Amino acid sequence: MQGAETVVTEGRTFPPLGPKTNSIQQVRYVCAIGAMHSASAIPWVIPITHCGPGCAEKQFGSLAMCNGFQGGGYGGGAVVPSTNISESEVVFGGENRLRELIRASLKILDAELFVVVTGCIPDLVGDDAGAVVREFQAEGVPVVLAETGGFKGTNFTGHELVTRAIIDQYVGEYAGGRTPGVVNVWSMLPYHNTFWQGDLSEIKRVLEGGGLKVNILFGHESEGVSEWKRIPQAQFNLVLSPWLGLRTAQHLEGKYGQPFLHLPIIPIGADETSSFLRKVVAFAGIDPSLAEEFIKKEERTYYHYLEGFGEFYSEYFWGMPAKFVVVGESAYNLALTRFLINDLGLMPGGQFITENPPEEYREAISREFRTIADDVVTHVAFEEDSYRIHTLIRQSDFGQKPPIILGTTWERDLAKEMRSAVVEVGFPASYEMVLSRTNVGYRGAIALLEKIYTTVVSGTA
Amino acid sequence: MRINLDTPVVESREQRLGTIIAWDGKASELSKQSEYARKSCASGCGEKGRRLCEMKGPFTQGSVCSEQMVECQAGHIRDAVLIQHSPIGCGAGQVIYNSIYRNGLAMRNLPVENLRLISTNLKEQDMVFGGVDKLEQSIRDAWERHHPKAIFIATSCATGIIGDDVDGSARKMEGELGIPVIPLHCEGFMSKHWSTGFDATQHGIMRQIVRKNPTKQEDLVNVINLWGTDVFTPMFKELNLRVNFVVDLATVEDLAQMSEAAATVGFCHTLSSYLAAGLEQEFGVPEIKAPQPYGFPGTDAWLRELAKVTHREELAEAYIAREHLRVAPRIAELRVLLKGKKGFVSTGSAYAHGIIAVLRELGVEVDGSLVFHHDPIYDSQDPRQDTLAHLVDNYGDVPSFSVSNRQQYQFYGLLQRVKPDFIIIRHNGLAPLASRLGIPAAPLGDEHHALGYQGIINLGETILEILSHKKFHEDLAAHVTLPYKKWWLDQGDPFLLVKGD
Amino acid sequence: MAINFDTPVVVNREQRLGTIIAWDGSASELSDLSEYSRKSCGGSCGENKRKLCEATGPFTQGSCCSEQMVECQAGQVRDAVLIQHSPIGCAASQVGNSLIYRVGMAMTGKPVENLRWISTNLKEQDMVFGGVERLEQSIRDAWERQHPKVIFIATSCATGIIGDDVDGAAGKMEAELGIPVIPLHCEGFKSKHWSTGFDAAQHGIIRQIVRKNPKKQEDLVNVIKLWGSDVFTPMFAQLDLRVNYVVDLASVDDLAQMSEAAATVGFCHTLSSYLASGLEQEFGVPEIKAPQPYGFAGTDAWLRELARVTNRVEKAEAYIAREHARVKPRLAELRKLLKGKKGYVSTGSAYAHGLISVLKELGVEVDGSLVFHHDPVYDSGDPRQDSLAHLVDTYGDIPSFSVSNRQQYQFYGLLQRVKPDFILIRHPGLAPLASRLGIPAAPLGDEHIALGYQGIINLGETILEILSRRKFHQKLAGHVRMPYKKSWLEQDPYSLSN
Repeated sequence: MQGAETVVTEGRTFPPLGPKTNSIQQVRYVCAIGAMHSASAIPWVIPITHCGPGCAEKQFGSLAMCNGFQGGGYGGGAVVPSTNISESEVVFGGENRLRELIRASLKILDAELFVVVTGCIPDLVGDDAGAVVREFQAEGVPVVLAETGGFKGTNFTGHELVTRAIIDQYVGEYAGGRTPGVVNVWSMLPYHNTFWQGDLSEIKRVLEGGGLKVNILFGHESEGVSEWKRIPQAQFNLVLSPWLGLRTAQHLEGKYGQPFLHLPIIPIGADETSSFLRKVVAFAGIDPSLAEEFIKKEERTYYHYLEGFGEFYSEYFWGMPAKFVVVGESAYNLALTRFLINDLGLMPGGQFITENPPEEYREAISREFRTIADDVVTHVAFEEDSYRIHTLIRQSDFGQKPPIILGTTWERDLAKEMRSAVVEVGFPASYEMVLSRTNVGYRGAIALLEKIYTTVVSGTA
Repeated sequence: MRINLDTPVVESREQRLGTIIAWDGKASELSKQSEYARKSCASGCGEKGRRLCEMKGPFTQGSVCSEQMVECQAGHIRDAVLIQHSPIGCGAGQVIYNSIYRNGLAMRNLPVENLRLISTNLKEQDMVFGGVDKLEQSIRDAWERHHPKAIFIATSCATGIIGDDVDGSARKMEGELGIPVIPLHCEGFMSKHWSTGFDATQHGIMRQIVRKNPTKQEDLVNVINLWGTDVFTPMFKELNLRVNFVVDLATVEDLAQMSEAAATVGFCHTLSSYLAAGLEQEFGVPEIKAPQPYGFPGTDAWLRELAKVTHREELAEAYIAREHLRVAPRIAELRVLLKGKKGFVSTGSAYAHGIIAVLRELGVEVDGSLVFHHDPIYDSQDPRQDTLAHLVDNYGDVPSFSVSNRQQYQFYGLLQRVKPDFIIIRHNGLAPLASRLGIPAAPLGDEHHALGYQGIINLGETILEILSHKKFHEDLAAHVTLPYKKWWLDQGDPFLLVKGD
Repeated sequence: MAINFDTPVVVNREQRLGTIIAWDGSASELSDLSEYSRKSCGGSCGENKRKLCEATGPFTQGSCCSEQMVECQAGQVRDAVLIQHSPIGCAASQVGNSLIYRVGMAMTGKPVENLRWISTNLKEQDMVFGGVERLEQSIRDAWERQHPKVIFIATSCATGIIGDDVDGAAGKMEAELGIPVIPLHCEGFKSKHWSTGFDAAQHGIIRQIVRKNPKKQEDLVNVIKLWGSDVFTPMFAQLDLRVNYVVDLASVDDLAQMSEAAATVGFCHTLSSYLASGLEQEFGVPEIKAPQPYGFAGTDAWLRELARVTNRVEKAEAYIAREHARVKPRLAELRKLLKGKKGYVSTGSAYAHGLISVLKELGVEVDGSLVFHHDPVYDSGDPRQDSLAHLVDTYGDIPSFSVSNRQQYQFYGLLQRVKPDFILIRHPGLAPLASRLGIPAAPLGDEHIALGYQGIINLGETILEILSRRKFHQKLAGHVRMPYKKSWLEQDPYSLSN
């Protein structure tokens, strides 16, 4: 269902909405410079932004504050150095200003690595930021450059630019061997995924439970740049998302001859998580007995809580939504949709993929949705403009009860209008306080159930 | 100097007012150095008439841009749409300003809804071939989706550089749709301070929305505000005046009728300067030329001037007397409770002048303040609006008075100078550092909180509340590492790297 | 047998109707055995005329008491206060009932609020010296706090045993406050089935609230319900009738005007039997003597009888024809989608008879049902209300038809007999077991969901929804341990009974 001029859900056809235009109302991703957060997501790494005066603040306020109130961390938020480009740099070029700022940053800020990211202005006026950064690199300064001009892509593609910059310009060449049982994890997008910290912790916990040693790379459970330095020594790379991280893994395969395992589904719930761990352990070729022991223990806990939930689920008096809609980027969208279909037996009422994934990955993403279950038909629509998404949802027939909407703050008004429950599970989540909460793995699935059904029940009276 | 509404592009603050964004010294000194701007040039800065000595340094942290201020003004008009003519990254502000818009609507008892901003979502090829077609498409989308009463266009750094003819498109679409389509030129790089974005919005509103043939409404007063709670309606009722709140949360009709009002006031000259002066110049609506309504002398003078202009002197005097009596007992109690406490104010420029006044009314010591910029003068050029002089004259000097464009790296040293018990903020970025140093912050999201007589009490109560948060911040402070090098933190002078040019 | 409103204490169900709470067999058999009660005594139960053979056994699990039903009736009248004259434990259900009350208010578009009950909070010394003073104090508190239109008093096992003169206290306080103060005698031990609690609440309402000198409102119909969504107003509008919903979520005035209505109907004879008959006996308000409004046959007959009594025959016929035509197409689709599916109904007695009819209309196989009790007859004594006979006659037999007072230990074996794809429930306690066996449940919190013509469609859609949830329950079933011994699970569920 490419382009989604017509959306079919549950056998019903939405009337055509008119052709897509360039317009984006109510943004669901930001521009490539938003990936400054991928730098500040690594412990003791600080981005340096070469851009107009508002760029850094906007990305921060949007991705880190009005999205779960996550905070800027050590080197994000208002800490981030910026050239705050003014007219003179537009006219005369900003290389000197960038040089001056990097030099001053070294004096003032205590970072293990600086990541220079550029905005629209230097990329348009033709600053050679690379030359400036190379001067510092030649002096042995830990600094790298990613050209992330706003018009060049999204914060998703920007994330891979930042990642690649660190690998190529900082981690560098490696000729040694690889350590069995060590895995580099490339998964959700830091900060943009409101729950990235808790989710990465849970993924790391599960993999370690299976006996793997994990370079989680982002978040406070990463050791920071020393962990990044060890990337080439790992046995393999794990790409845990439908597409984000694939380019990185392919690059690492070319650069270090390091194999990768691509699992598009971020696991939610016991079945999915146990199967995920078994796949990774099998790929690593390590002794599976540790993993089996871990799975047994985790499942006992998981089903203990699920049994309690089951009583509610089977006899809660006042009816519960039978259908659900997910509005979000592909990784979470797929993970949530699978869990809700396969583990809760809910019926999909529309899955809107909102991060504008590169064209070449779209068919594979759609296929993942098509193959969730034999008895359930799921259709996905790639849509980024919330006006269109909301119109499409409004025009759907959900039967007796409005669906649960797993979406964002943008869906709050729509949910009110439809008298349905909205659970904010992605950017922007401006009415959620998210610190260590997770929705994935064994523990996250239980927390997710708590959140969804707290929302449903609170909505009744 | 007259405001020039003939061209679509607003003149930046630094051009009009000699605005600076970095300075360090005493409040009295800054006030003195600003005098040239309203009298003769007595400063030592050489030949530039409207120029204060400004510091400049190599290190700067992310600031705020004019386009953001356009979002939070033009983007918050209830029956308009704002087009962001830009790559998608500028659209990041939609998330922030939506959160603010929704809270604002709720505070004002208006139906809560998402804001209506549309990004033209420019891509790489548009940088080469221009984005005008996409702009026109988005304007059409805006019309079809919402049938707004006006469509604003915010330009961006990218469209400024590639030179899209936004004015031409706006004119063309205005002809096509029959509603005002208003280009607001607000490229971030065009002004060193974001407050130019306020002026850009107000410029466009005066040019294309305000009614040119007004029927005067003698009891209507324009109140230039943001999203604050409605403290004006009850106050103005005492004077038989009606409130016309602009620009945020207003309707296009509210904006149009600004020319019909009897006067214009605001809670902060930084925000209201351009619009209030423009309305007086173009439509003869008097701007109230008085100190801002903070603390007793400020509020007294402000009310009296408003009363004079609207011919309601007796009502005002009675109200002033009643209010003084009403608030005195609780203020006396608050003074006891706040005795010995030290506050630090780090907000926008004119607003800080007002807040410091209120703190001093409460007996709180204020030895330091950081303002994000400084305007040596406002657009009216009237000395009665000299808020800094009003502060210094009425409440004494502020020894550490710094202009710093929300530079967190300097904030550490500034706090060390005065070691406050709490800080007062509005913009984000500074409180997180204070928090990591064990100092609680009062974020005045409701900008009217400290205004007028009741505002003195409000602010006092709020300070008591946040002082109680100190436990949290102190605990945190003991467990965090700051991202600044020890070398830098040990420098006594936060302006070490930025000595004057 | 005339209902006796002279005494404050209601006669319990087993005495009035011969109610039983344990029995196992086929629906037709139970219907036959119950026949004596509506014709002549042809039962084989020996001398007790109103007595069916009842199974009893040594093992029982927690049931439900009459006081709980008083709570969920008298406790949900909007401008009344319910005093629970009891130790604090009886008040545990304030929590659950407040949730029900709040949701019910929301569902019916009324302002959501907490319910207003007061526990007299009796302690050990009160068991010795009596709790009447505390009762009077709580009644005064109720008055001062809420100024209610009425104050109900629910008795408890404890006050029943110590013999507090609740009637005396009520009489005294009624005189003092000038509003009805109504004792409801509902000690849990007084009846084997909780539905006596409905009767207790209705008894008190008829005695002390219903207007004694009614001005007839010829277009008003009493609808005895709980918290369900308002499906009656649009339906009755077609017949130019107005709805007077009672008892739950009603105001005291709604209750008072019941005597002025043209007729009384309900969604379930178990609930409405006492009140509807009482209103006819005491105030001449006709009870609609028809099958319940479930499935085509039941709904047709019910509407026709209502129309006859209220003189609106033509309107009713037109409405019936329109509705048949309207629901047919979707019903045909639903039948296709539900073909081959097996359902199991485990709800209150008369309500189950109705729900099974609806399932049969949908083409769902129903080979088994568990009802919490069985009334061989309702208070009217009228055979037109024989809901079980209506079911058997119209839709055929149910081979495994069991009366079991919500005994989960028997439910396992009952489900094994018929291996259903889903169950329908209302009361708690059974669905969790089904869930652990991989069987989803549809909890019909909105009791009107399956009612009338639209109800057939509604129930079909709901079943489709819950069938989709089988995945959850089946996953769970693979990971849980039952608290019952294997040796028991292999037994017939009634093997311990005699």
